Amino acid sequence: MKCRRCRAPAVIEVRRHNAGFCRDCFLRHCRDQVARTIADHSMIGAGERVLVAVSGGKDSLALWDLLLDLGYETDGLYVGLGIGEYSDASGSYAREYAAGRGARLVEVDLPTAFGFDIPTGARAARRVPCSACGLSKRHLFNQAAVDGGYDVVATGHNLDDEAAVLFGNVLRWDTAYLGRQLPVLPAGDGFVRKVKPLVRLAERETAAYCVLAGIDYIVEECPMAEGNKHLGYKDALNAIEAQSPGTKAAFYFGFLDRGSSLFTPVAAAERDALSPCVSCGAPTTGEVCAFCKLAARARGE
Amino acid sequence: LDVPGPVRVLALLDQLGINRESVLVIRGDTLVTGDVLLGPDDTVEVRPVISGGAA
Repeated sequence: MKCRRCRAPAVIEVRRHNAGFCRDCFLRHCRDQVARTIADHSMIGAGERVLVAVSGGKDSLALWDLLLDLGYETDGLYVGLGIGEYSDASGSYAREYAAGRGARLVEVDLPTAFGFDIPTGARAARRVPCSACGLSKRHLFNQAAVDGGYDVVATGHNLDDEAAVLFGNVLRWDTAYLGRQLPVLPAGDGFVRKVKPLVRLAERETAAYCVLAGIDYIVEECPMAEGNKHLGYKDALNAIEAQSPGTKAAFYFGFLDRGSSLFTPVAAAERDALSPCVSCGAPTTGEVCAFCKLAARARGE
Repeated sequence: LDVPGPVRVLALLDQLGINRESVLVIRGDTLVTGDVLLGPDDTVEVRPVISGGAA
């Protein structure tokens, strides 16, 4: 197989584009895809400071690398979740990347700062671990961005993540989630703008980017994710994708083009009902936000 | 895991029952595409790329 751009031997095939790429052209392709996504959705303005949520995995490290290469002013944010050796290892990858690029990594350690870890929090709140983890990360990303004066939080959600979440939301017809499943969530009411610049790249491509760019990342899956329903959705979508390349992209981008606007009023109504959490000040629909409730239960309060 | 070669990458994945969309195949410090013929002495890593926990 030859590279579509330069005709050199290809090292990766991207079937939904019916194309192969050599190393250099693939890295450029990824930069082009991210630059296009940022421009199409007005994700990052000139001079804005970006906080990149970095887990030590392929997506977030690829994102940070791409944003740095594209010239954005970015710092990384690593949240220690207290998931034993997995957290120790993932933090090491994030720190090593930051040191290698000479970039600044902000760190928040959940057990140190809030007195609980994800396994304990999930058990105490009777949530599945990925739910307690996602809730905590969303809260801490936003809080760190507000505290640090950042304009934007960027996360490494890729095409597979978004297609799988969309699949789950459609299976349940969860109209509020469908209304806010966008590549950009605007700032306001205590929220910093949130952006997902990797939505044009599948996770096979973000992994390939890291391998070809020489970025070491944690390959092992989080031990708490076993049995996660999104993994099942991804398997189902990949089975379809193998038969019909481009299905995931058509599903997700078709939703953005022709479906999401049908649901945005539901999400907007929910957002209008937000008020500050009496405990931490973060925006919430109740008196106390979900993160503060989780933390209180985990600490046995 | 030893597999008799020569074998093309896609055929190897088929033998192993692995969906090509869910892995990268790495030989040395680079990737190989599905049409590459692997020799009897080649060593490759089949690396999963699917991560969960999206919330």
